Amino acid sequence: MDRLNGYIYCVIDRFCGGFCLFTETTERKDGMPLLEMKQITKAFSGVYANENVDLSVEAGEIHALLGENGAGKTTLMNILFGIYQADRGEIYYQGKKVEFLSPRDAIDQGIGMVHQHFSLVRKMTVLDNIILGLESRASVLDRKSAAARIRELADKYGLSVNPESRVSELSVGEQQRVEILKVLYRNVNLLILDEPTGVLTPQETEKFFDILRKLKAEGHGIIIITHRLAEIMAISDRVTILRDGKAVSRLVTAGTTPEELSAHMIGRELKKDTSQREGFQPEEMLSLKDVSLSKKRRKKKSLSHVSLGVHKGEILGIAGVEGNGQKELAEVITGIRKNYKGTMTWRGENLAGISVKERFRKGISYISDDRHNDSLIMDMTVTDNIILRDFDCSPYSRWGVLDHKKAEERAGKALENFKIKTSGTSGIRTLVKLMSGGNQQKVILAREITDQAGLIVASQPTRGLDIGATEFVHQELLKQKSQGKSVVLISADLDELLSLSDRIAVMFAGKIVGILDRAEADVFKIGLLMGGVTGEEAAVAERKEAAEPEAARPENARASAEKQETVGPDGCRNQPAAAGGQSRKGGDVA
Amino acid sequence: MKENRRERIVENVCIAVITLVTATVLVILSGASPLEACQMFFRGIFGNLNGFGEVFVKATPLILTGLGCSVAFRTGFFNIGAEGQFYMGALTSTWVVLNLTGVPGPLRIVLAILTGFVTGGLWALIAAMMKARFDISEIIVTIMLNYIGINLLGIAVRTFLMDPAGSIPQSAKLDASATLVRFLKPTRIHTGIFLALAAVVFIWFLMEKTTVGYEIRAVGFNQRGAACNGISVVKNIILSAALSGGLAGVAGAVEVLGVQRKLLEGISGGCGYTAILISLLAVNRPFGVLVTAILFAALSVGANSMQRQMGIPAAIVDFLIGMIVLLILGRELFWRRAARKEGK
Repeated sequence: MDRLNGYIYCVIDRFCGGFCLFTETTERKDGMPLLEMKQITKAFSGVYANENVDLSVEAGEIHALLGENGAGKTTLMNILFGIYQADRGEIYYQGKKVEFLSPRDAIDQGIGMVHQHFSLVRKMTVLDNIILGLESRASVLDRKSAAARIRELADKYGLSVNPESRVSELSVGEQQRVEILKVLYRNVNLLILDEPTGVLTPQETEKFFDILRKLKAEGHGIIIITHRLAEIMAISDRVTILRDGKAVSRLVTAGTTPEELSAHMIGRELKKDTSQREGFQPEEMLSLKDVSLSKKRRKKKSLSHVSLGVHKGEILGIAGVEGNGQKELAEVITGIRKNYKGTMTWRGENLAGISVKERFRKGISYISDDRHNDSLIMDMTVTDNIILRDFDCSPYSRWGVLDHKKAEERAGKALENFKIKTSGTSGIRTLVKLMSGGNQQKVILAREITDQAGLIVASQPTRGLDIGATEFVHQELLKQKSQGKSVVLISADLDELLSLSDRIAVMFAGKIVGILDRAEADVFKIGLLMGGVTGEEAAVAERKEAAEPEAARPENARASAEKQETVGPDGCRNQPAAAGGQSRKGGDVA
Repeated sequence: MKENRRERIVENVCIAVITLVTATVLVILSGASPLEACQMFFRGIFGNLNGFGEVFVKATPLILTGLGCSVAFRTGFFNIGAEGQFYMGALTSTWVVLNLTGVPGPLRIVLAILTGFVTGGLWALIAAMMKARFDISEIIVTIMLNYIGINLLGIAVRTFLMDPAGSIPQSAKLDASATLVRFLKPTRIHTGIFLALAAVVFIWFLMEKTTVGYEIRAVGFNQRGAACNGISVVKNIILSAALSGGLAGVAGAVEVLGVQRKLLEGISGGCGYTAILISLLAVNRPFGVLVTAILFAALSVGANSMQRQMGIPAAIVDFLIGMIVLLILGRELFWRRAARKEGK
């Protein structure tokens, strides 16, 4: 994995080589840092989310907060922003001791936060979103001067966005700019950014970094929460690394390496990629020809003429910015979405009109990216969830009466085989909602990866899992591959795709814009395709890149990023969350 | 977990105390001695066999409609229409008994109850179909269907079902051979109570032990998850709605055949609405419904006795029931919110 992080690092470094020098030249004010958090401690029902954490941020500094999922980054920032109150510890801001009881207090003092999931009202304009909740004291809304001020701020920091356009019409990158404008409009000196690049393409990310550098040059302090090492190397001045709720180290970015960061973050060196590649057989198992899917009551297509083949013993990776049709593709294959056009065959049999249940019986398994809503019934027990696919088959059902004993036998075996840990003493009778994410995922694996499975559609199977569980899932997928099963692996994690897949298909706006063999795939190529630049254009960009001297690269990259803005007015990528996380009504899919 | 249980007990005690204090205040306001009122209340229930029997007479339709609501709530189908389904069941079963005079009594009873089940079920099915097909809120549709059902009965007892010998809007008396036996005279307890008890066991078995119940539960907990794993959401909502309406329809039939022995307006006594509360308080558990329904019936019998003996309005009890429900639901909301905060 660190090899791949190195990859990303290289790419981003190439983009921004010139800019990184800023780090050293920005002047720092002497004396008190802008923010100091001392010995912050916070526990949730007896478990420490933060334990004696210190953090200090200077004005004009980009400070990265690094850590795995659950390391306590978000809790710490929520305490700073007044969402939680610390059990112990003190916060000093601009030299004064402060206590924030609500985000309002924090904002009043000049601290702003951009959350991972944007909090914009989609049906309102950019302007209205920005002044929302602000000018309530005045009797008349002064839209004109507000718009003028927004334009001024936008110009100053390069946050180009039209105040009059509706949020629902904006791309994810633009929405993020609105969020930042919203914060700046409130005169903050310290910005907290929670996983800001999660939804951006590499090219959009670079644009975003330019904005951060401008903010920094104006003397703003910035805290950026992330677990992407390459980005930390590219943008930050200093890093604080959290592990298990404690601040384990504080480093100056210029004096460290991604390898060192990852070692601190994980607490050990990562194993080198050891996956085997055997298993690929030329026989095509699943084939999609010209498959399209229209959105309900709209002409827009969420899948447009997708043609794909998945071979026996192959892991086919699907890359793309979230919301570009990956979820729809998974749901068409598994039968959850039925009204597709085109033909789809599995082991030579046309799948048209075959239900989710029958498809599962024919060997099509599904690990959804939204395990809480799609894959599990959280309020049911482990046993009930294990038999969710075949509760109505022998031996679990006789004459419509459930045989709990048989079901519990199977659940018990699953617990053993997949090393599922249930919290507490109830074992297989534990409600799934009481278990950790990793163990929930293992329950799904135990149900979906059976001997009868022939194709596993795995969508973001390691999202939110810790390193151990992630490795378990990866090994399990590779095992299936070596047994001659096929896997469709949808992931936003390019490292994961590059290390597991035989081939990688990239989706943009509901289309497959390119399929790369692993040998020829790298982060740069995938990144361009993810932004909607087609294969040929990407090749051109690459040739240009090779021809031009090092210094010219950032412009080049930005040019292709601009291009992607023009390619993508289709709208699909404007809804990252809608297609990804949110649950849909059952009636919709049934 | 243990801490949680202790908190629960404390809360329940709090709710009981609040209720008792309010009750005392209300009784004093209506000009009576609380102690005496309390005495009358319990004497009404336990004082004589008649009163005690009345508890089960009143509980019978409450159990059936309560069960009905709980089945629907389990899939997330918010059936507010038990009242209308009750009326439709009562109406059609009366028609069957009055018109199929050639059929021997016991068979006619079975036919009448079956008819009640089917019409009640169909009445709920209308709402279920509209929800499944057009995504119209079942709450609105079932409420509207209540008005239609109630007024259909009003029309019936004034026209084609009106007692030809009388002049008030009610049907002719059912012949004794086609009514449910009162086996514990002088009380009005009738064999319908066994039907209600059987229904409790049946629903419990169906929900907990069968694949049908498993599907219904899965759909109720997580529609999307059920659909993604090949369980039909529409099928299960329709099934649970029909079963729910059917049970309410049976309650209507049983009330006609066992208690009133004729069809008249206002026959439900609002039990289709009380059923919603019962189901909520019983958290949709069949045996919980049984206990809660009997409790509600007892409250109502006791309140009536209080009103008769001392002129204290029986409405006080309804008032208190409303307050208890609010307190309990408020508590649930409070905990859910706390849990959400903690979970973040």
